[in-house]
Amino acid sequence: MNRKITFIATMSFLTGLAGCASAEQGDAGQAAERFHSAVAGGQGEQACALLTPRAAESLQNGDQGCAQAVLSLNLSGGAIRQAEIWGDEAQVRLERDTVFLHRFPQGWLVRGAGCQARGDLPYDCGVEG
Amino acid sequence: MRSFLKDNALSLFFLGLFLLALAGQSVAGNADYNERQLAEGGTSLSWAAYVTSSDFAVDVAENWQSEYLQFLLFIMATVWLVQRGSPESKEPGKEGTESDSDQQVGRHSEPDSPAWAKVTGLRLKLYSNSLGLTMGLIFLLSWLAQSLAGRAAHNAEQLARMQDPLSWWEYVGSADFWNRTLQNWQSEFLAVLSMVVLAIYLRQRGSPESKPVGAAHKATGVEG
Repeated sequence: MNRKITFIATMSFLTGLAGCASAEQGDAGQAAERFHSAVAGGQGEQACALLTPRAAESLQNGDQGCAQAVLSLNLSGGAIRQAEIWGDEAQVRLERDTVFLHRFPQGWLVRGAGCQARGDLPYDCGVEG
Repeated sequence: MRSFLKDNALSLFFLGLFLLALAGQSVAGNADYNERQLAEGGTSLSWAAYVTSSDFAVDVAENWQSEYLQFLLFIMATVWLVQRGSPESKEPGKEGTESDSDQQVGRHSEPDSPAWAKVTGLRLKLYSNSLGLTMGLIFLLSWLAQSLAGRAAHNAEQLARMQDPLSWWEYVGSADFWNRTLQNWQSEFLAVLSMVVLAIYLRQRGSPESKPVGAAHKATGVEG
């Protein structure tokens, strides 16, 4: 009887953990999708609001603000293929992009987008901060 | 109560030291983690969040596994290998698991021998190796915990550097895992070597880890 209760408790705990992990992955994935939707819809200001402060700052160049710069990168996302979360960092693989996010108290913000893999080296990203 | 404290003073002393050191590590580790986060533009963690994080778990587990490995190897190697003159060693000629009579098992057991030492078969076999098996099991579990927590902490760093996270198999073959492992192992092995060799020539009066002060350098297996 005790073994049965322990087993049920363990399975509930593991299922709960899996549930948390998948909800977290969903949140990070949605943040990546919202960013790409804003870019695809030409809403530069909205896209920049989904970037980390450092990433938004990195796009500001002379007269060109973040909103203009983020649209000029011709980023393209697509459907989510995979999401991984480790600590406060996330990587979301979309059909045509790999997006890196960081968890802030207010939620997930994009710190890297328009990223190309370079083997063991860090990804080369159009938006990076 | 006083008798209990006196009879268990050695265990209680090390339990107290262990808890104090672990608490100190959690505070210092949390401060160090938060300093790094501040420098890298990340978010700091509360003490409660830090002690349940993979960063703290891997730092604890990598030290635990190496300590248990050290004692496991010390226990097992001293069955078969001797060091002439060392109080940590058996006398030369006694290498091996020794006779039932020497080990007071089966029909050679004493009235106050443990129950599983009085029987034969699997129970005696298990009890005869219970110290090594337990230390070995704790070593393996700690090493497994190091690999799991280490992978989580390493993958967070990988993502922060915009690199792909590693699978568990990739992580246990990685430089990070083996650097953490071997830097602990080498120090443990050196400490055992030092104890075995230095105790041949040096003494600590009153300590059972040392030979009696007046014992000859070549005297082996004598504890003071």
